[in-house]
Amino acid sequence: MTRMLGVVVTGVILLWSGDALGHHSFSSEYDGEKTFKISGVVTKVEWTNPHVRFYVDVRETDGKVTNWNLELASPSALARNGWNSRTLKAGDEVTVQGYSGKAVPTRGAARSVTVADGRSLFAGTADDVGGAPR
Amino acid sequence: MRKLLHPPHALGAIVLALALAIPLVAQAPQGGTEGGVLGPVNALGQEVRRAPVPTGPPPRLPDGTIDLGDGVWIGGGPVNNIAQGLKKGEELPLLPAARALMASRQETDDPHLWCLPMGVPRTTPYPFRFVPNYTHRKPTHMFILHEGNIHSYRQIFMDGRKHPPELDPTWFGHSIGWFEKDTLVIDTVGFNDKFWFDRQGTPHTEQLHTIERWTRVTMGTLVNEVTIDDPGAFSRPFTVTFNARLSPPGDEIMEYICQENNQFGIAGGHANPFAGK
Repeated sequence: MTRMLGVVVTGVILLWSGDALGHHSFSSEYDGEKTFKISGVVTKVEWTNPHVRFYVDVRETDGKVTNWNLELASPSALARNGWNSRTLKAGDEVTVQGYSGKAVPTRGAARSVTVADGRSLFAGTADDVGGAPR
Repeated sequence: MRKLLHPPHALGAIVLALALAIPLVAQAPQGGTEGGVLGPVNALGQEVRRAPVPTGPPPRLPDGTIDLGDGVWIGGGPVNNIAQGLKKGEELPLLPAARALMASRQETDDPHLWCLPMGVPRTTPYPFRFVPNYTHRKPTHMFILHEGNIHSYRQIFMDGRKHPPELDPTWFGHSIGWFEKDTLVIDTVGFNDKFWFDRQGTPHTEQLHTIERWTRVTMGTLVNEVTIDDPGAFSRPFTVTFNARLSPPGDEIMEYICQENNQFGIAGGHANPFAGK
């Protein structure tokens, strides 16, 4: 019975935690079927509303460098999860997975950000870093 | 302004609110059904893990009034679809013109996406706080401070004044308020017709009249029962109910200046419909 109650309570917590869709409607901007995985060097982090953005130089196979514009949650949501404007810095090497923009493929909604030492940033809470990689 | 029948007050409202509390918790996410091949499509880091909602009796001020001001709240209004606040089986009583207007609206034209105010009773994933103002004589105002979106405040006159006979339309209208036992009642007219009730584009006109009834049914749950009357858009008044939850102690309103770096539309190829207007 106790376990059952725990499951119910957890369910309620998770539902509540999902109340944060953020500023925009995803589907009007990004394609849920069009994913990307890029690696490169962070050139800039904008800790700004309505969304934090970071920019990554990605070297293509032909040597050409493309600067990607990637979107995260709002600063206040990230801060409530323990992240801050120093979490990711210009010069960091990152691998990013996410969804591409419908009109501009090098604009993306990030879904995972991994830095060179293997840490996963912005997923979950900052306290979770050091646990199992997500 | 149509004369509205107020729902039963006090105990009846609280019992009703408690009865509604669990299903309303379940509907709180409002529209979180979008998904992609990588799983969730919410902006990364947007989902804030929060502690369970505290239960127990709501706190009171020394004079016995329910204390609404001792924390910040999340929710309490529609985000994705105002119809989610209707009783089961009910539908929005949209007039044909309002239905046609709604059908003509493009999702990307939602003023909210372009950093314009959300109006009433729409809410956001961000906290808000009730801030009562008193003089040495009496309560004068209740302010509601919204973190986002956009960074806004509502001013509710608590000094017994009436609505002016004529008003220039505004995003948050002209609000007067009072307590009916444990319920804060906010009566608002003088709205503009620019904001959308939700992401569906549910419309209203400048004839909109809202009566919000905020009841803190437990320490951590605040029920907002809103009667919406707008003879320009709806064939009859209707009531929607949404729950707000108390954010954990220590959570505070944070800065949220939406206009700072809003790049909405570029990735999807959408122009700002409000540019130059």
